[in-house]
Amino acid sequence: MTERIITLSVTEWLQKHPAMLVSVSPDTDILDIVRAMLAHESRDAYVIENGRVRGHLSFNKLVNHLFSHDRPVHSHRQLFARVSAATAEELMDPHFAYCREDEQINQILHRQLQCDVSDLVVLATDNTPIGVIKLTEVVRESLQ
Amino acid sequence: MSDPIFLHLGLLLVTGLLFSLLAARFNLPRIAVYALAGLIWSQDLLGGVFNLQLGNWSGMLTQTALALIAYLIGGSVTARQLKRLGNTIVFCTAGEVLGAAIMVFVAVWLFLSGQAQALLVAAALSVLAASTAPAATVAVIHEYRSRGPLTTSLLGVVALDDAVGIILFSLLLVVTTGISFTGAMSVAAVEVGGALLLGAVMGWALAFFGNRVRNPHFFLPMVLSAILLSQGLAQIWHCSPLLTAMTLGFVGRATYKSGGERLLAPVEYLEELVFLVFFTLAGAHFNLNVLLGGAELVVIYVLARVVGKIAGTNLMARFTDAPPAVRRYIGLGVVPQAGIAIGLALSLLNHPAFADTGLLIVNVILASTLIYELLGPFATRYALRQAGEISEEGRYD
Repeated sequence: MTERIITLSVTEWLQKHPAMLVSVSPDTDILDIVRAMLAHESRDAYVIENGRVRGHLSFNKLVNHLFSHDRPVHSHRQLFARVSAATAEELMDPHFAYCREDEQINQILHRQLQCDVSDLVVLATDNTPIGVIKLTEVVRESLQ
Repeated sequence: MSDPIFLHLGLLLVTGLLFSLLAARFNLPRIAVYALAGLIWSQDLLGGVFNLQLGNWSGMLTQTALALIAYLIGGSVTARQLKRLGNTIVFCTAGEVLGAAIMVFVAVWLFLSGQAQALLVAAALSVLAASTAPAATVAVIHEYRSRGPLTTSLLGVVALDDAVGIILFSLLLVVTTGISFTGAMSVAAVEVGGALLLGAVMGWALAFFGNRVRNPHFFLPMVLSAILLSQGLAQIWHCSPLLTAMTLGFVGRATYKSGGERLLAPVEYLEELVFLVFFTLAGAHFNLNVLLGGAELVVIYVLARVVGKIAGTNLMARFTDAPPAVRRYIGLGVVPQAGIAIGLALSLLNHPAFADTGLLIVNVILASTLIYELLGPFATRYALRQAGEISEEGRYD
């Protein structure tokens, strides 16, 4: 079996594979973000304010903070985050990978792998988020 | 033959790493074996046999390593997080820092009264008494799965007091450069104000360029370049290098507006290397004659620091109406002392004002750190157990 190149555009892909974007507000605490990610079986959440994406949160980093009491080593940064109950805004990465509606799916695979993002956010021309491309779906489709 | 800098440094680091493997196998304190590894290459032992001298390079290395730590501590917290820490943590930090500093200063000054530079040694040891050892505290908390108000307060205090310790130490260095009191105050204003301004500009520039870099592999060289450049500029403009590095970290993270993962995580990986450098260098500066001459000073420093920390935190915990467990036991939890104090003490060796007393201070801090390393975790564990925040059932083996 070999992988198949997917030539669909992002818009076509979203029609065929609609997927929910996990979005949280800037003041959401870690526990609520992780719960939202688990509910949607997602490894990426996006911080949204006034309809725009402000940053990205990855599951592993959040779990790192959430279970800090089970880890024997903390940096000063992790100590402060733990004691002060850090919020989404304080933990997000404002530089996140994204794609546009008119791109081809086979063009964005490299971006997802390079940035280690499973759910890549799709931004419209006015920069509002309109969906996500799930890496698992892309791989599944490609291998069919 | 030219000065074998790399040979000496390489021997120190390799010996430290080999010893740390043994420490891991036999469950020994890691930093104690780092110091032991350095001690082997001191002038009293193999360093003297092979004529390996600690030259100016060790001072440069210490300054760079301290700048990295100051940058990490500055970037570890945001203004909003500081506001959320709460009165108990903030006041208990102030209490333990000031309590230890005052007690150590008075005790050492009285002990050395009549001797030359008594005031200077007392002042240096008093500011070095401020910092604690977050790693040791976290290790005990993790081992016993401790949870509760004392645990939370303790974590906040040990995170915050290193920053306060670096600020106090920077102020001490600034004040000791002045000839008269007014001279010292004007120098202080320039050194501190200049450091805050320089650090803020460099932090803003770091975030500005960080916002334009997409490749994550560029962040470590970019941050290291910014730290080195800021240290160089601080040197030529006579600004406090540690305050500059702390401000760089704080403003860089605040301007970059993120959890600091990209700006701080790459440098956090270097932290172990920094502590390996600090402790092996401190061990290599070990001098038996100096230590024997200052043995009483070590005892006085150790006792005064513990009494000061317990009294200071107790007073402030009462002032903030903290829970009884916090009030009674938090002082015992902040007894450990480690890398920051060693690094700061080492940097005194290159300061002209401490030309005659620097080695004594390094040896006192090294010996006291080893004592605290042995006793500190017991004190923390006792405090947490008395507060009812740990149970043997939950212990990690």
